[in-house]
Amino acid sequence: MTLLQDANQDAFEALYDRHGGAAFSLAYRIVGNKAAAEDISQEAFLSIWRSRDRYRSERGSVRTWVLGIVHHRAIDGLRRNLVHDRRRASAEGIEERHEAKELTDVEVLRRDEAKQVREALDSLPDEQCHVLELAYFGGFSHSQIAEMLEAPIGTIKGRMRLGLQKMRHQLVEDVA
Amino acid sequence: MSGHGHEHSDNVAPYLLGALSEIEAQAFERHLMSCAACHDELEQLRPAAEALPRSVTPLVAPASLKQSLMEQVRQETPPEPVAPRRPWRERLPSQVRMRPAMALVSAAALLAAGGLIADAVTQSPGNDSGRTVAAKTDSKRVPVASGSLIVPRGEGEGAVLRVHGMPVLGNDKTYQVWLARGDERIPQSLFNVSRDGEGSGAVSDRVKGADAVLVTREPAGGGSRPSEEPVVRVPLDGS
Repeated sequence: MTLLQDANQDAFEALYDRHGGAAFSLAYRIVGNKAAAEDISQEAFLSIWRSRDRYRSERGSVRTWVLGIVHHRAIDGLRRNLVHDRRRASAEGIEERHEAKELTDVEVLRRDEAKQVREALDSLPDEQCHVLELAYFGGFSHSQIAEMLEAPIGTIKGRMRLGLQKMRHQLVEDVA
Repeated sequence: MSGHGHEHSDNVAPYLLGALSEIEAQAFERHLMSCAACHDELEQLRPAAEALPRSVTPLVAPASLKQSLMEQVRQETPPEPVAPRRPWRERLPSQVRMRPAMALVSAAALLAAGGLIADAVTQSPGNDSGRTVAAKTDSKRVPVASGSLIVPRGEGEGAVLRVHGMPVLGNDKTYQVWLARGDERIPQSLFNVSRDGEGSGAVSDRVKGADAVLVTREPAGGGSRPSEEPVVRVPLDGS
């Protein structure tokens, strides 16, 4: 990161090689469209390049920083374009075609990590898992989710909180 | 549902998930500055929220994305100041300044020796922001390859090896990175290269005190000892 902050292009390329796949995967999961996911990933990495001085290691890992920027851009794109009614069905199609086949050590690590987090997510009661996905991947606000699910806002916030608590517990157990 | 008995605590999870409106998020951030209980809960739930993006199915980003991105980055990078150039012979150290004919003979002798031919072994100028070390590549087995090792400042967090022009291996083979310390060869990462021969491998152990970073071709899955002489070698100073 120090080299990147000194505007070293090789360091930036290495950063992209390490996190570009995860960034594209997350963008695709949110927007459900390959061209849009590419645009968002490119915008996010350019933003990282332009604001490379802002990374602070004490605030979290580089990966968390990168994925946070991608998430923000993707949700922003979703909200701007109001394309909430696309995704999942088409997503499954592209995943078959673009799923990582090269099992380098990085890919193996990403797959294992994805499996572990998905298992934690799947272990939640459906109503908790659903609100987490709608909020994080769908970009919906708590009030929009409450309206969609015809439930009080307090109930939705409670499900979000319980869901995150259980996920954290599950992930900690997996590590232990 | 409140964990510690006030209205704001219900906003911790929606805040982490980005499910508050902008105005609500700003109000919650102001509240956070003076509420230790909400702050603690935020830190407790944060790992779960930050794990969510890692749950997605890993996909391969299109190669065109990287090309387009790097092109843009190159356009935005200001050119480095260029020092006035002196005639090439004056730039050589005095002990290697020689007549052109003699220099050609010496270069030919080096080439004839075969084995690992340096890709102009260079290091970035000594400063406190890390360094880039050029790799030596085997001129027979990987004739058009080149590479460099990026070592961050402090050398405590490993390094990243980038290679170009490497042959694409079959499905039953992989490139493996090793750290050499004396006679010891410590396995690092495995990597494959793209169709245009580009790839990168991580060195996760500390490079400080190591003699070199090596790359060999190994059976898929890698090995615990190198099965051949390295095709790429990045010499380190061992200090």
